[in-house]
Amino acid sequence: MGAVLEVKDMGIRFGGLVALKDVTIEVPEWEIVGLIGPNGAGKTTLFNCIMGAYQPNTGTVAYRERDISLLPTHRRVALGIGRTFQNIGLVRGLTVLENCLVAQHPRIPYGAASALLGTPRSYSDERRARAYAMEVLDFLDLTRFAGSHLEGLPYGTLKLIEIATVLATDPDLLLLDEPSSGMGPDEAHALGERLIELRKTLNLTVLMIEHHVPLVVGVCDFVYVLNFGQLLTQGRPQEVQNHPEVIAAYLGGEAVKEATTDVPA
Amino acid sequence: MASATEVLERPGREERIAPPWTPSVQGWTARLLVLIGIFGLVLLVTATRPNFWQERIALAAIWAIIGLSLNIVLGYVGQVSLGHHAFVGIAAFVSAWYVTEQAGCTIDKCSFGAFATGTVLAALSGAAAAGLLGLIALRIRGLYLALITLAYGFVAERSIFEIPSLTRGGAGMPATRPDGWATGEEFAYLCFIFLALVIYVDWRFLRSKVGRAVLSIKHSEPVAASYGINVTYYKVLAFTMSGLFAGIAGSLFAFHSQNVVSNDFSFANATLWVLMVVVGGLGNRVGVVIASAFFALFPFLLEMWTWFAHQIEDLGRAMGNVTIVVGAILALFTIISYPGGIGEQVSPISRWLSGKRFSLHPDGHHDEPEVEKKPPSEGGLLSKLGLHKNNDEKETTQLAALGRAVETPVVDARTGETARPETARKPSSEDETPDVWGALTRTKSEDGN
Repeated sequence: MGAVLEVKDMGIRFGGLVALKDVTIEVPEWEIVGLIGPNGAGKTTLFNCIMGAYQPNTGTVAYRERDISLLPTHRRVALGIGRTFQNIGLVRGLTVLENCLVAQHPRIPYGAASALLGTPRSYSDERRARAYAMEVLDFLDLTRFAGSHLEGLPYGTLKLIEIATVLATDPDLLLLDEPSSGMGPDEAHALGERLIELRKTLNLTVLMIEHHVPLVVGVCDFVYVLNFGQLLTQGRPQEVQNHPEVIAAYLGGEAVKEATTDVPA
Repeated sequence: MASATEVLERPGREERIAPPWTPSVQGWTARLLVLIGIFGLVLLVTATRPNFWQERIALAAIWAIIGLSLNIVLGYVGQVSLGHHAFVGIAAFVSAWYVTEQAGCTIDKCSFGAFATGTVLAALSGAAAAGLLGLIALRIRGLYLALITLAYGFVAERSIFEIPSLTRGGAGMPATRPDGWATGEEFAYLCFIFLALVIYVDWRFLRSKVGRAVLSIKHSEPVAASYGINVTYYKVLAFTMSGLFAGIAGSLFAFHSQNVVSNDFSFANATLWVLMVVVGGLGNRVGVVIASAFFALFPFLLEMWTWFAHQIEDLGRAMGNVTIVVGAILALFTIISYPGGIGEQVSPISRWLSGKRFSLHPDGHHDEPEVEKKPPSEGGLLSKLGLHKNNDEKETTQLAALGRAVETPVVDARTGETARPETARKPSSEDETPDVWGALTRTKSEDGN
């Protein structure tokens, strides 16, 4: 089977700033692929290009061997790409359950006219969507938050709720933007377990941006490293984490020599 | 480890999903009686007041429709429209033009069919005019969109409102009320019927996937798009809906004044409408209806205060100007002290009426979500995964159903050992070798993909 997601020669410029240049990555079926790199390396920009939020200057995005470079974001989502945001992409003012309903938007069959008239069909569709939303929340042990508003919930919980809403879009491919930010080491570990559990039960393929090294090493099958908008290296997590250039990118050039001798083998 | 097991063990489904609270039969009866009481009071006042009051009450209902129209743009989409008088005015002229010029209504006779057709045409023209603005709003938002709507209103005032065949210049276009609905009382009931219709559609709008989509677009367009929402479509749809309501209100306004002149649709009105939605509470249906009715009746209430009326007359000011000053002060007061507007002040009552428990706070009776307490980490990935044993059976069957081999070796983050979750107990001696970087291999899934 071919790759779920293939990004070829992706490049984007903002004025004089080259945010991405010739980035080619591949996410094969059922893998958890990590995307790491220092701040400003272009990781989130790459996500935005994959989702169609930005129009890249060069390159193509293919989803299951279909070129989706020209589709608007919502069409890409309908194909089965789910995405979370670095700063929590939840709709404030709506409850957790309602957020899961928003996320199911394209899957709810009734149309606008039927909604405004309040036809019986719109009610039964709503009920079904509600039941599905509860199932998703149940799956992530979030049921007790269903009626809560987002204000006052801990950041880590919000991150998990965001994953729940993205699961409600019924994705095949998850793009997670720093899922463990705002979580303590324990929560991050629990998240890693969840991801593996999700992959097992829902057949998900995951591409995630992550800074938490133990999480990347623990769950990723393959890692791409971005630096200054270009791919620095790629490989198995344990190969990448000891790669001198990666350490240089994270710690600065001068630290390379020092770091290579210090890092445990 | 036993404590960790308890935390992660999932209780039965029934325990966790408590059925939502619903009122008893008596509770529902009480709510129904109160609702009937409120509506009955409004109808009673309408029926027993003299004719000039009935006319004003009809106007209040029309303003409530305008308020709900503007509420879609201001409250749901989150943009400011300062050109709403254009939509209302265009619709009023279209309606009047149709019944007088096309349907042949005379000054004392007009069929209900002509009225209905005129109103439908007015609603459509309002929707078209606002839909156009919606297309502009796709590109521009915030202050610049407000400026565009302002310009839109002035352009309509200076161009469309001055087409002689549509508006008959300064003399105005007559719009005779339909037979059977001509008196003040009857026309007020007609306006109530339309208001009820608009409230129903507005309620469905907000409670359905459409409203959720529009609210999420207001929050963040990239987020909405990543939920699979067609941002373009729903933005234009929201503006069109707003124009549709404004069109209905415009048509009713035409028949209310019975002679439409362009002076009735001024920028001052548009400003007042924005103020009344703010005072009512952005996005709050009940509050907006109450505030709109208040602002529509306010000049007449002032007139009743004869001493004040005399003072104002001496200053040579009309009542409408006083309203806008009061509106501005109230809006300031609302924004600074009561951001929820009237709607939030009456929300305990409206929540109770809609079948919730009576409480002064929106979440008054929700159980406070507890922050999950995690036990201190005793091991890596594996030790915790082992605790999910209860679910492994479920997962295996699900996977088997999906035709996949369950072959996902899980690796401990600390020890580098590869093991099945069932055997996830590692010797305690290995805990003593902490390795932050967790050198380990993650074996690829061997399911043949």
